[in-house]
Amino acid sequence: MSERTIELEVLRYRPEQDQEPFFQTYKVPCEEEWVVLDALNYVKEEMDRTLSYRWSCHMFVCGSCGMMIDGEPKLACKAFLKDYPTGKIRVEPLSNFPIERDLVVVLDDFVEKLESVKPYIIPKEERTVEQGEYLQTPAQLKAFKQYTLCINCLCCYAVCPQYGLDESFVGPAALALAHRYNMDSRDLGRAARDDVVAAAEGIWHCSFVGACSQVCPKDVDPAGAIQQAKFAHGIDYLTSFLPGGKR
Amino acid sequence: MNPRKPYVRPISKTSWFMTQSRYKVYMLHEISSLFVAIYSAILIIGLVRLGEGEAAWQGWLDAVTSPIGVIFHLIAFVFALIHTTSWFKAVPQAMRIQRGEEIVPGKLIVGAHYGVLAAVSLFVLILAGVA
Repeated sequence: MSERTIELEVLRYRPEQDQEPFFQTYKVPCEEEWVVLDALNYVKEEMDRTLSYRWSCHMFVCGSCGMMIDGEPKLACKAFLKDYPTGKIRVEPLSNFPIERDLVVVLDDFVEKLESVKPYIIPKEERTVEQGEYLQTPAQLKAFKQYTLCINCLCCYAVCPQYGLDESFVGPAALALAHRYNMDSRDLGRAARDDVVAAAEGIWHCSFVGACSQVCPKDVDPAGAIQQAKFAHGIDYLTSFLPGGKR
Repeated sequence: MNPRKPYVRPISKTSWFMTQSRYKVYMLHEISSLFVAIYSAILIIGLVRLGEGEAAWQGWLDAVTSPIGVIFHLIAFVFALIHTTSWFKAVPQAMRIQRGEEIVPGKLIVGAHYGVLAAVSLFVLILAGVA
């Protein structure tokens, strides 16, 4: 295993003593197969215990270590150092979120939005345990499976200019999850979600920049989910004019 | 005392799109619709002029074949290409077609769009006596 030293420029912010964030550079001896998270862990363990950042699984499952790496929102556990040949890497907290401390951002706004779209199955029929499971065909599963892969890493929010300019926007991940449940054959909760999803701050606030889908580490394609939801609501609106249509 | 003091990084409301190349591409795509709209308006005016008689039609024809008219149409053509290619590229995201357990590949959907574009263009060119 070969070693090389990289310069890790980390945006620091310690609320009890700093008025604003500043960059601090660490020279980190790294091994070839390391990811940015390994370098941060090295700093934390060997160089500077005051550095704060979130992480948990180290295998792109938990979604905790989303951060800006050279200006691009990424999972620090999926950003391999060998992909940064200059040896200089700038690490910042996710854009569009307030900084709590160092690389830790305030997530309260997202959590509220996530709750508001009711991201759980609202069943068509209540079944008792004795009645057995809700059945679903592989084709019905395929209709929404892609949107179940979201790990709430918030890379999509960090790159969404609509959310950055106006945080009333419900945003990509929450809307993609709403779409995931709306597309589920076992679910009948679309009307209950529409107060949030079909509002001006919901799907109609998205202007399809598409950046969310470009950066999503799990290929969820939130932009696609939002456009499909717009299409479904457009069809609803038009068919409401037909005889027997609901208005 | 609450020790929390979240720091909000400022975002420019007027120049945010200059911060990333993907935002610039998006803005170019959005601006392209302006040129497509102006081109369409000129075309509709042409139809109205045609209905008003030969002199009015000739006046419109002179205007669009003047140097300024030609330059505008060349620019509009470039933006129409940007508009077409960028929207076609985005279609598979908005138009997700499922057949059984498979999702129809995006390439097929985009290809079909280009196929229809080529067929319609050819039809119009034949109708105009160009091809």
